[in-house]
Amino acid sequence: MTTSEHIDAGKERSTEQNVPRKVALIANCLLNQNAKVCQGAHYAGPVSPVVDALRSRGYQLLQLPCPELAFAGVRRWWAVYEQYDTPAYRAHCRRLAQAIAPLIERHIRGGDEVILIGLDGSPSTGVRFTSSQPDWGGRPNRPEDDWQIVPRPGIWIEELEAELARRGLPRVPATGWALDMGRFDETGARRDLEEFLDARARAAGADPAPP
Amino acid sequence: MSADARGWRIALVPDTLINQPKATGEAPPDVLRVLELSGYGVLQLPPPGQHSLLLAVIADQVAEYAHHGYAVVAIGVHGQSVDGLHWRRLAPLLRHRGVALPPRHLIRRDLDAAAEMQRLATFLTGYDLPMEEQHHWRV
Repeated sequence: MTTSEHIDAGKERSTEQNVPRKVALIANCLLNQNAKVCQGAHYAGPVSPVVDALRSRGYQLLQLPCPELAFAGVRRWWAVYEQYDTPAYRAHCRRLAQAIAPLIERHIRGGDEVILIGLDGSPSTGVRFTSSQPDWGGRPNRPEDDWQIVPRPGIWIEELEAELARRGLPRVPATGWALDMGRFDETGARRDLEEFLDARARAAGADPAPP
Repeated sequence: MSADARGWRIALVPDTLINQPKATGEAPPDVLRVLELSGYGVLQLPPPGQHSLLLAVIADQVAEYAHHGYAVVAIGVHGQSVDGLHWRRLAPLLRHRGVALPPRHLIRRDLDAAAEMQRLATFLTGYDLPMEEQHHWRV
């Protein structure tokens, strides 16, 4: 199947759908905090500041699968990048990427503006930052804050970006909601996200202020 | 890290209710806001089309939740040829994973939006697992 056949395999776009759209790929837990590890959630359900910032600027939402939940379950321990950096977990992430990539590809090939909002500090969904501690393992009794934040994407984002690149798609502009950076600062995270979104609007010549 | 804030309740929601088509008249019902206010997390279902692998991935996630003390519901759209839930394909995937089909609530777009959102809120608020299951699983 060629790329265009692959793209056209879904339902034909309606007239309204032919108008270029703004689409935000968002980490699973930004719509569903139940995906977080125990004590990792800050909201009952959706992360409303993220949802509000995106919707008020006209973005449609496309939720990504949660790789950790589907791999290690709802009762998993906290973990860092190095613990998930295994062939089996990367293969799992590639399967998820292959599941969601056709939808993303359709948007990009259709001329939609696509961005990615991940979860900075996450071992899987970090965009700019992930959590790292090469010594973690064994009995889960590490002292608090015994990990580092390092400037690199998480495993899931690495594999998703690799799948999109395999399809010949351009890199998706991305940022992360700083939920997993150790101490969560909602005001700072909101300001950071809005600056990212408004900078994109300014670059496109649009009014960055939400309606 | 914070105290545990998870809501323990999740809704399967069609793409069309998350990314609502532009209406010419009054504002469409804001299902996402009602879910948020009701403390439900969202699992977004894809738009119409072939999504076999993605639906299997979603079914895996639903099974994990359903087997570990989370209440799961499905919100569809009444009166469409499909309710947006991919039910014909999703239901067997859930059964295959030993998951009882979640209760479904259908939104009617031909009725007053505010009244429909109130009906949805009542449904969401009124649903949860039996108390003994909540005590067994939830921290």
